[in-house]
Amino acid sequence: MDPSHAPPAASEAPPAHVIDAPVIETRALTMIYPGDVTALDGLTVDFAPGVTGLVGANGAGKSTLIKILLGLLTPARGRAAVLGRDCATEGQRIRTLIGYMPEHDCLPADVSATEFVTHMGRMSGLPATAARERAAESLRHVGLHEERYRQVGTYSTGMKQRVKLAQALVGDPRLLLLDEPTNGLDPAGRRAMLELIARIGAEFGISIVVASHLLGEIERICDHLVAIEGGRLLRADTISSFTQASQTLVIEVEDGTAALRDELSRRGLAARTYQRSLLVPVGGGDVYDVVRDSVAALGLPLSRMEQRRHQIEELFRDDVEAADAR
Amino acid sequence: MPAEAAGVIHDLGYRRYEGPRLGRAQIVRALVWHSFRTAFGLGRSAKAKVVPVIVLFAMCLPAAVNAFAVARGNARLVPYDTYVPVLRATVMTIFVAVQAPELMSRDLRSHVLPLYFARPLRKTDYPLAKYLAFTAACLVVIEIPLVLLYLGTIASVHGGSAVWGETRALIPGLLVGLMWALVMAAASLLLASLSGRRGYATGSVAIFFFLTYTLATLLINVERNGAAPGMAASTAVKVAGLLSPFTLLDGVRRWLGGTTLDQVPRPGSFGILYLLVLLALFAACLGGLAARFRKAGLS
Repeated sequence: MDPSHAPPAASEAPPAHVIDAPVIETRALTMIYPGDVTALDGLTVDFAPGVTGLVGANGAGKSTLIKILLGLLTPARGRAAVLGRDCATEGQRIRTLIGYMPEHDCLPADVSATEFVTHMGRMSGLPATAARERAAESLRHVGLHEERYRQVGTYSTGMKQRVKLAQALVGDPRLLLLDEPTNGLDPAGRRAMLELIARIGAEFGISIVVASHLLGEIERICDHLVAIEGGRLLRADTISSFTQASQTLVIEVEDGTAALRDELSRRGLAARTYQRSLLVPVGGGDVYDVVRDSVAALGLPLSRMEQRRHQIEELFRDDVEAADAR
Repeated sequence: MPAEAAGVIHDLGYRRYEGPRLGRAQIVRALVWHSFRTAFGLGRSAKAKVVPVIVLFAMCLPAAVNAFAVARGNARLVPYDTYVPVLRATVMTIFVAVQAPELMSRDLRSHVLPLYFARPLRKTDYPLAKYLAFTAACLVVIEIPLVLLYLGTIASVHGGSAVWGETRALIPGLLVGLMWALVMAAASLLLASLSGRRGYATGSVAIFFFLTYTLATLLINVERNGAAPGMAASTAVKVAGLLSPFTLLDGVRRWLGGTTLDQVPRPGSFGILYLLVLLALFAACLGGLAARFRKAGLS
């Protein structure tokens, strides 16, 4: 790496053990749309600095939360703050601190990436010269070089996603809100985009919220996860505590899966069905024995039994089912 | 990670921006300037400049002809307050029908608005900036020919009083032009903001101005031909003039003291009604434009 461009951000970043003020706080945040549609239902959560995944199915309230954070929607009840500023009263100031990358396509086809990002820099409040300089830098950071002089309409989806990220970055935000940044990308493109986000979070000193419905994908780059469903908080924690809780025993029997589940629950094990298998959380040491005894008691043909650290997605699915049941 | 890979793919070294940041008013000003340039295709492809250039050329043509005529000893060919009415109505309709969607529908179709709204601007700042820019653009198209007309005329007249006379005639003409620009920009931007499809937007603006103009002049002529020559304009004629922006503008011009004859008869006691309808149309367009964007969200 060119030493003259050595990033100061990494050395200035506070050590990990310092507990910083949250970048986003919400307290009993409730949003009800006309027609009595509840989009957020008493959401209270803190987003720590770093890269945070905001996970939830479509309609879980992610977009509503983003709009409230940008000061574009007034919540029915509760409050939200970004970087210590109240979203209801300081929306304009907050919007100078946030870079927002929407989920959907938002680029005009008939301008070059350079012109477009420069204009968006102006709209972020940069003077003309600074906007041009920062547009060039932002596009370089997201990996667009000579092609940035071409019209955006000729770009691949991956390049367009990068331009969207560059326009969010151009105003030097303190916080990036990225809504489904890997939308429409092929696997290689997804990987590249996630790497880019991880790098921005780690080396640029910018906190990032990545909203996604694909948890398995973003968990690799997040420090924290916030899961919402039906406008309510499912869980907010660090990635490591999520994964600790996800030690699971996978059991497959040829048939009689339902009978085995009932038998396990009778013996005090909370098994649940996942595709063709049963998942049992690994708690104490006797879980294996209980499973063995249950299978033997029912006389079932056991075809598979393994311990694994499964995708957090499955863990959420469980929570989602539980939330639905409530 | 190998150093070369990092160097090739991402040249890192993020620099914070420590310089000054513009306030909201200055951002609006930047958007006004950007949109004004867009209205003439500046900073865009050559294709985007075709219509504005043709429009400006067509509008300036009578002024150029006038300069020749006056130089050869003729009186000024064209009045300042109406210019060449049918040409101006037609060419301005083409200009706003093609360029208002350029300012509005492009942003709507490409869904770029959320990017504006996620920035310091307020939601009503966006249509305000577009309106100011487009009014200025319409002013340029309307007033530049008038100024050329003036310059071409005074170049050939002799004596300070003649120049002063021309100047006094020009000023009401410029004010009528301002009225045109304010109303046409508001109406065309509102219509253009209703559709992200350029074709529809252009069509709706063109149809609105042409259709109402055709209807109004048709009714006026029918009523006029039915009346005995020399009789004062009937009430029906005056009501017909309320039907289109161009006849409204012309009625208000006549009511305010414009002497040049056009299709619209002197509105007389109807003048105040012309003014009120014009103001109502203007207010409705601006209000509709603001409402259109106040509702807009992030998608």
